[in-house]
Amino acid sequence: MALTRRNLLKYSGAAGAGLMTAPAALAAFDEHFKPASGASADAAKVVSCCGVCSPACGLQATVKDGVVQFIEGLPGDAHGDGHLCGKGAAGAGFLYDPDRLKYPMKRTNPNKGFNEDPGWVRITWTEALDTIALQMKNTIAQSGAEACLFVTLPSPDLFARFMSAMGIVNRVDHRDECFQSDTVIQKYTTGGKSWCNDFENSKYILLFGWDIVAKAKLVYANGVVKARSNGAKVVHFSPTYSATSRMSNEWFNINPGTDLAVALAMINVIVGESIYNKDFVDKYSNFTQYESEIRAHFQQYTPEWAEKESGVPANDIRRITREFAGSGASIAPAHKKTLCANYMNASQLVHAISILNILAGTIDRPGGRYFARTHAIPGVDAVYPPPAYPAKQGRRVDGRDKLPFVNEIDQGMFSTLADGMLNKFPGMIKFAFWNAYTILALPNPKTMEEAMRQVNFTVVMDFIPTDTVSMADIVLPSAMYLELNDAVARDYNAKFPQSIARTAITNPIFETKSAGYVAIELGKRLCPDYFKLSDGSWINPNTLLDEKVKRAGLGTDFADFKAKGIVQNPAAFTPRTTFATPADAGGKCQIYVPHFAAKGAEALPKWHTKREIPNPDFPLYYITFIPAIHKRNTTENNRILNEIMPTNHAIINPALASKMGIREGQSVLVRSRAGQIELPAHLSQTVRPDAVLVAHGFGHASRYLGAAGGKGVRDGDLIPNAAIEEFVAAGNYAGASCIMDAVCSIEPL
Amino acid sequence: MQNLRLVLIFDKTVRFSHLDAKLLGGYRALKCAHGVILMETYGWLIDEKKCIECRACEAACKQWNNVEIGVGVRRRQVRVTESGAFPAVKQQALTGGCNHCDNAYCMKVCPVKAISRRSADGTVQIDQTKCVGCQQCAAFCPYSAPQFNTRTKRMDKCTMCTDRTDAGLRPACASLCPTGALQWGKWSEISGQGSSSTDNFANPQQTLPRIRFIKDAFPVVG
Repeated sequence: MALTRRNLLKYSGAAGAGLMTAPAALAAFDEHFKPASGASADAAKVVSCCGVCSPACGLQATVKDGVVQFIEGLPGDAHGDGHLCGKGAAGAGFLYDPDRLKYPMKRTNPNKGFNEDPGWVRITWTEALDTIALQMKNTIAQSGAEACLFVTLPSPDLFARFMSAMGIVNRVDHRDECFQSDTVIQKYTTGGKSWCNDFENSKYILLFGWDIVAKAKLVYANGVVKARSNGAKVVHFSPTYSATSRMSNEWFNINPGTDLAVALAMINVIVGESIYNKDFVDKYSNFTQYESEIRAHFQQYTPEWAEKESGVPANDIRRITREFAGSGASIAPAHKKTLCANYMNASQLVHAISILNILAGTIDRPGGRYFARTHAIPGVDAVYPPPAYPAKQGRRVDGRDKLPFVNEIDQGMFSTLADGMLNKFPGMIKFAFWNAYTILALPNPKTMEEAMRQVNFTVVMDFIPTDTVSMADIVLPSAMYLELNDAVARDYNAKFPQSIARTAITNPIFETKSAGYVAIELGKRLCPDYFKLSDGSWINPNTLLDEKVKRAGLGTDFADFKAKGIVQNPAAFTPRTTFATPADAGGKCQIYVPHFAAKGAEALPKWHTKREIPNPDFPLYYITFIPAIHKRNTTENNRILNEIMPTNHAIINPALASKMGIREGQSVLVRSRAGQIELPAHLSQTVRPDAVLVAHGFGHASRYLGAAGGKGVRDGDLIPNAAIEEFVAAGNYAGASCIMDAVCSIEPL
Repeated sequence: MQNLRLVLIFDKTVRFSHLDAKLLGGYRALKCAHGVILMETYGWLIDEKKCIECRACEAACKQWNNVEIGVGVRRRQVRVTESGAFPAVKQQALTGGCNHCDNAYCMKVCPVKAISRRSADGTVQIDQTKCVGCQQCAAFCPYSAPQFNTRTKRMDKCTMCTDRTDAGLRPACASLCPTGALQWGKWSEISGQGSSSTDNFANPQQTLPRIRFIKDAFPVVG
């Protein structure tokens, strides 16, 4: 069952070979997959971590002749609990994607666009890095650091160090589409964003919009299934019926964008009836200090008022609130790019949800949201303290400085980037470095494409030739998670510290490299003082990892840690009695947040409507979702996953279909004020008759993506552009990206 | 570790006709030189409310068995069926593969005897060297288990990962399933659990599939 090249191509369903000329690429595949001789031909299991999504479930890979044959869960791993989801199980499909970028390349056709052939030419890493360094140096010399845009998470730490050393002010990421609102709110209400939800000990789980079971992390899905098995009650508010609704005891078809009304009414009932957890609230929150303000504020948000907004019956809101307050171990998790946390009113909603958790008294308590107990794995700056970083000078192209609470946590803002590049500061960005993001990740990719065309020089680092790659001047082939070593702490299910060795199951194939390597090499060329150690040698990523492992107490060095696979330090869970809220909060959780009011936001959450509501021109809600089998816009080219779900549809209720004369499978035109998409209809009773549901992640234009290219449409083409001023005016102070706010129309073709 | 599959040996005084080739409490009776032996057999247990549609079972099957992509073969597949009208809608996610039926119609209708029962564990297997791709088996299987490989022009289906089970491992799909929605085990332990059928599952009285369903997985709360 060895994965020979022939098997690989069969397995991957393609005989083509990506960007390079076929003979060269095929020869390289042959070379790489040539079976090793002797004893190493025996199948062995290697411990590592998944890299599809952030919890990084532990995995074991069966490796034979140097080829990954099978990937399964790792017993004892706190996240996957010995299992993986379908995306993780299909991991070899990423590693051996026949479209993988293999070598650095430069474009020879100066015309950029999805319909242009870039005219790729293979170059050496030295030429690529020299060219990038020169372009960056000249850009900064002529136009300042503000002219450089980095579209990347601030990771790995070596890459973050490089950006800091260069004084990069414009680094943007996707988190405004994801959990950013929660990061902002939790910092002030409970003392920090946490990923840990103690579902297995919860007695009552209240889910606003989040399809936590199917469209999120396995650790959460497992937790909810365990909770149900333990007799917990699960209540789900969502305008679509999903796997989570199925798993719930009660599902409420809530009007899109009105979760906030229900949450405010729940606070109204808890406070009005004084059924909060008095012990916790009095001791560990600022409730008593602001009691009169709190009681006065929530008085207006009665369940009867909430029923009018949300469609959820007032009596049910009352009953659920009493159940929630009385269970003794209730939790309302808030997270990410699912319905609730991404409306224009997400700042208020997440604040309200946080208040519900505080009133339930379960912050860092059994059955509630708690803070991870993890190994302290130091970053590069702790291991090798850098010289002082230069001050970040220049204008934020996305206008994020207008949102002080977002600015201070240094996340976002994909949603306002294109507006900044095209309208606020046209021509300001001259150099762009995209790391592992495709243009589909932005709320309105069509506008972003236009913005990208105006950038003089673009570098893209990725592992497959995404749409963004086709706009690049230089392409850097990225190593993927099965090719890298690292120490990964468990921080989603972490009542005591546990870490897993991410082990390179194979060396990076072809000439792929890590972002850490690029940081060091660009650092040598542009900011050597930050990458040189006291003895004059350069930072070595392997030595750095050894040092991190040693300092975190995971082993004498990485090899030692790798031999152990999992290191954990079981300890009893001691609930926090002081919370890491701002110093002047006295170590208490904050229901009333004076810090918000001090900077123009709301100390207590007020009712706001979503950004757009259906109107005569666009009478339908436009709802997007991430299918369970894909992760955002990064997995559609994986042959295994692509076969399971290759494209998207306009999912509509049969009643709407009949009214509009639309049949199953018929092409339809869905329009919003931002644009239109054409795709086949799928009829389903899981959607409201006043909504159109479209899966995110499809519509890759890149002709080099053998499986995903040209399939489906971009959900983002219907999401109207956003400007920072609109967010400020609407009270969206946590900067939610409004990807769930559009309205649309539909017609048959 | 090799699975212990031998359960009992009867001497020659036991009349085989009393045991026949049918299952006896989950075991399979086979003739041998010394008389009749009972062998362990296996089946699926579905805890359907626990399915989260993650498709780990599907991906694991593809990976372990190196099942070709894009030729119409998905040996294991999660099918989602809905009923009722919004908002009174219900949904069921059901993982399906070959149920290695005791009365396997596929085996009976195969004109070239390419489908047979493996004596070691009672699983139903297709011999690719004999299959002529006539698709009779697919026409008679109520569970869409045999599928036509459009490239090889032969039938393909779930093997119950005999290469894994022979080595003491669970089939790839059941091994990966994170929630326990899909379990696998000794039929002697599974056959008494849950019910023989569920919604959107063809009448089991016909082919006697080796699968059982737990329908109410979660405790009832007020």
